[in-house]
Amino acid sequence: MTEIIVVTSGKGGVGKTTTSASLATGLAQRNHKVAVIDFDIGLRNLDLIMGCERRVVYDFINVIHKEATLKQALIRDKRLDSLYILAASQTRDKEALTQDGVEQVLDELRQDEFDYVICDSPAGIERGAHLAMYFADRAVVVVNPEVSSVRDSDRILGLLSSKTRHGERGDGGVPAHVVVTRYHPEKVAEGDMLSLEDIEEILGLSILGVIPEHDSVLTSSNQGIPVIHNPDSHAGLAYEDLVARLFGEDRPMRFLDVPRKSLLKRVFGG
Amino acid sequence: MSATTRKAYSTVSEVRFGQVGMANLRLLHIDAKALEDELLERVSKAPQLLKCAALILDLGHLDKEIDTPTAKTLLDAIRHAGMLPVALAYGTPATEILAHSLDLPVLAGFREAYRYSAEVLNSLAKNDGVSPGAAVASPSEHTYTATRHHAQPVRSGQQLYARDTDLVVTAHVANGAEVIADGSIHVYGALRGRALAGAQGLASARIYSSEFRAELVSIAGCYRVFERLPSELEGQPVQCWLQGETLHVTKLER
Repeated sequence: MTEIIVVTSGKGGVGKTTTSASLATGLAQRNHKVAVIDFDIGLRNLDLIMGCERRVVYDFINVIHKEATLKQALIRDKRLDSLYILAASQTRDKEALTQDGVEQVLDELRQDEFDYVICDSPAGIERGAHLAMYFADRAVVVVNPEVSSVRDSDRILGLLSSKTRHGERGDGGVPAHVVVTRYHPEKVAEGDMLSLEDIEEILGLSILGVIPEHDSVLTSSNQGIPVIHNPDSHAGLAYEDLVARLFGEDRPMRFLDVPRKSLLKRVFGG
Repeated sequence: MSATTRKAYSTVSEVRFGQVGMANLRLLHIDAKALEDELLERVSKAPQLLKCAALILDLGHLDKEIDTPTAKTLLDAIRHAGMLPVALAYGTPATEILAHSLDLPVLAGFREAYRYSAEVLNSLAKNDGVSPGAAVASPSEHTYTATRHHAQPVRSGQQLYARDTDLVVTAHVANGAEVIADGSIHVYGALRGRALAGAQGLASARIYSSEFRAELVSIAGCYRVFERLPSELEGQPVQCWLQGETLHVTKLER
């Protein structure tokens, strides 16, 4: 059974692509066969974060327009053998995506016995985002602890329950997990950011994982190595926890408290 | 010849459907004489309302079914009292057959537009080949639309409209979401979005919420915006109603 998971948020810049990359990597690390698809046509990012931008020959749009086969377009990850990337086109716009085309690609991935297909949604609620979520079996909604991001995620949750294939069938829509990224314990403590309780109350859903804001995320993105590969990074470990929770493992939330400053740092500033 | 007449009128008649209020006579006992006396008295008391008033005869509250001659004496009694029976109220299949023998239509009860049961249609068709289309009753004079119930959270950007009825939401209504009803609105959960009751102008509609944090409430077009919620209302169980032009929003006391 192939499970299609969309990573979406509504708002831009919250960490969808970072989450997609680490989620796909985490699933592949557990020996599942995983494909991750960049739906952000025209603004491709996923291949950069996955570190395969120089190996992109054919992309998602080429496959949809039958200019290349899916096999030709799928890029095998250089670290994990069971992980494949389908890059977005940088030269086309999102109108090149068609519902039939997306469905055909997903069906072919099903026939190829992929366990998971991760759809990295673009920001917004237009065509690209709509098609990324339309065929999903599960959704990961990425949210930052601030009001506008939570509001946009609420809108996306509404669309997941209505403007998707599951929603149209009337079986309650796509089940969704909420993941909080760029979480800043200090700012939450100072009241500058929404607390996890606030987010859960506004969305009416419990939070699956919290990824702390950390410089390692930026470094990893620039190096093209998903942050989950970095065992020294709190963000990487938090993504690892998140993947484990998807499989029902009970992992307590970590990195939620304000780190204590050492005496030296307190004296000399840090 | 006929061609010239046709030029004068494109059609001779038009069929229109509409709803009218009509008296409904619920018969409790089969006693034509007593019925006539009773109705005579009522008509004499309120002649403007009841004299020559059209009336639907409801046989559904009798303890037994009646035959055609009995029904005819009852109808005569009503006519003698000065009222005009025009139809039978929907009841059992026997009522349908009775109505057919009396040459009266059967009108629906109170819920859904009524149709002849297939069984009765077949027996009628066997008897005298009546066409099913002609036998279908007109829309009922009383309709009741079931309350619309919604158990999922109403998300930002979603709009929920309960046409001709009340709306009950047993989840929260998010900021930027809109719940609208022609009747009243009940939200058992946080109401953070907008609620518009009495959307077609029903001034007696009300809005209830077990946790009030609304951006806007409106009843019959009379609205109030909450840029900042009054502290005595925020998060409290609240009811909103309209009195004249004033929209009241008060805490529900237990």
